[in-house]
Amino acid sequence: MPAATGRVSAATDTRPARPAAAPDTRGRIVAGYLAPHPPHLIYAENPPQNEPRSTGGWEILRWAYEEARTRLKERHRPDVIIVHAPHWITMVGHHVNCVPKPSGRSVEPIFPHLLRYRYDFETDVDLAEAIVDEASSAGLVASRMTDPGVRVDYATIGALHLLNPAWDIPVVSLSANNNPYYYAEAGLEDMELLGEATRRAVERTGRRAVLAASNSLSHLHWDTEPELPEDMAHEHPYNNHQYQWDMRLLELIRAGRTRELRSFIPEHIEQTAAEIKAGSLSWMLSAMGWPEIPGDVLGYWTVIGTGNAVVEWDAQRHG
Amino acid sequence: MAEATIVGAALVPGMPHVLADAPAPSWKALGAAMREVGQRLRAGAPDVVVLLSTQWFTVLGHQFQHHPNPRGTYVDENWYAYDYGHLDYDYPVDVGLVERWATETERDGMQARLTRYDDFPIDTGTIVAGRLLDPDARLRVAQVSCNLYAPADALERVGALAAVAADAVGRRIAVVVVSGLSAGLIQRWITPGEDHILDAGHDRWNRRVLDLLAAGDLAGVLEQREAYAQAASVDSQGRALAFLAGTGAAGGRAEVLEYGPIWGTGAAVVHWGPSP
Repeated sequence: MPAATGRVSAATDTRPARPAAAPDTRGRIVAGYLAPHPPHLIYAENPPQNEPRSTGGWEILRWAYEEARTRLKERHRPDVIIVHAPHWITMVGHHVNCVPKPSGRSVEPIFPHLLRYRYDFETDVDLAEAIVDEASSAGLVASRMTDPGVRVDYATIGALHLLNPAWDIPVVSLSANNNPYYYAEAGLEDMELLGEATRRAVERTGRRAVLAASNSLSHLHWDTEPELPEDMAHEHPYNNHQYQWDMRLLELIRAGRTRELRSFIPEHIEQTAAEIKAGSLSWMLSAMGWPEIPGDVLGYWTVIGTGNAVVEWDAQRHG
Repeated sequence: MAEATIVGAALVPGMPHVLADAPAPSWKALGAAMREVGQRLRAGAPDVVVLLSTQWFTVLGHQFQHHPNPRGTYVDENWYAYDYGHLDYDYPVDVGLVERWATETERDGMQARLTRYDDFPIDTGTIVAGRLLDPDARLRVAQVSCNLYAPADALERVGALAAVAADAVGRRIAVVVVSGLSAGLIQRWITPGEDHILDAGHDRWNRRVLDLLAAGDLAGVLEQREAYAQAASVDSQGRALAFLAGTGAAGGRAEVLEYGPIWGTGAAVVHWGPSP
């Protein structure tokens, strides 16, 4: 152990050797999704991986995800889904999960009654490592997370399950060096640099990638919940101010006015305590080059009062 | 007002660096101070430690750890590559007190939830505090989460209800809150020797607050809590101090045993109660 830093060596990678990734002109980001992760949506679906049982709820958002799943499989056919998630909270720098086969049971400390989920998926390690390298080259603090003991968080699980419950597409997951709750320092500028680094890594490794920004929009919410969590009689926007600001953001997205959206995002965060403060949306749109194409809003509704939209940017169709 | 027997109280940091094999001077001093406070609290022969750690943060209602014996290993999602990033835990919970505390919380009009799940991830702060304050894990614990969406005065009420519940079930308690002070973190990997409080303004605020605590003016700290939180990015906006005030365990002068940086943040070990 290098005593100067106190760091210990990372877990040894025992994977069979794979050929080094060669540049491939096929590498590109084919689509991006704003993919909110409230655990309520998994809970409401009653998938076999999740232990708690529900009577449903939040159907509008879940139907939106059903459409996204169809498009993902039939239209985009990615090699990999790359997700940026605000509940893998890293205080120092941007971390990328480089564990080849993360598996375990994630009991969510905030919502343990809703999410106790068995996960088992494959990481695209070559791409994950390429993202770390590109981010480091861009001057960001970036780390390879190779410890299989780190629990996978609910924002990563939520977005990935809801987009692809079969988990049959390899994954790269990125931490959030910024979050709405805690040691929040990193700015959106860093997230944009991370997005550009992600794009370069995708191109360099020749992957056909779909991105998932695991963020809700307006983020004020109740501090209690009904006896039946899925009692939809209690579900509505936190207030009209939050709702109206979400609609303004979605109107820009629908109109493809992405340059305006870029400057609007900080204002939206300020007005609504939005979870996009964690940077996932800025990371994704930066990776896609802030495309002036319309985003397809597949659905919007609230979860415990927060605003949530499932949105697709189809870079191929609008190419 | 409850008449629970309170043997003492402490504010301690929850960053795992105090357990490092090769610590910075401040990490080492903070860890030693936590061991000292642990000895003082244990000397009062409490039945149970009433605990709040800001690193178990929640957003809906107040969650009470109800598992009789949380046990496992927590791998910290940020510090996993360091020797102090892998944390074993195995400690007893006072289920009877927890149930009464949750009942009192509901009775007071707040939402309470008993949390009892295998594989529930115990937070780094709780484990770090336990390792240093009670190394043999002999004391039972009664713990509530830190609801970041509830106002601070709600945490103060939850703290008060801990004392009500302890009185009702006849427990002698020690109160421990696990929280940092200023939360400005150095945003790069550093060697221990490079550590320092990130911002001089944060440092001034931290020292001002510690001086007030030493003078026995926790109420004065709470009056300035929002300004302090804003100016120094305080860990969980100072909710831990509000909780502590509610318990009634920090009414007198405090002894600040140690203050220093942990990766840029402000950390202090503060004790209320009789010294040996």
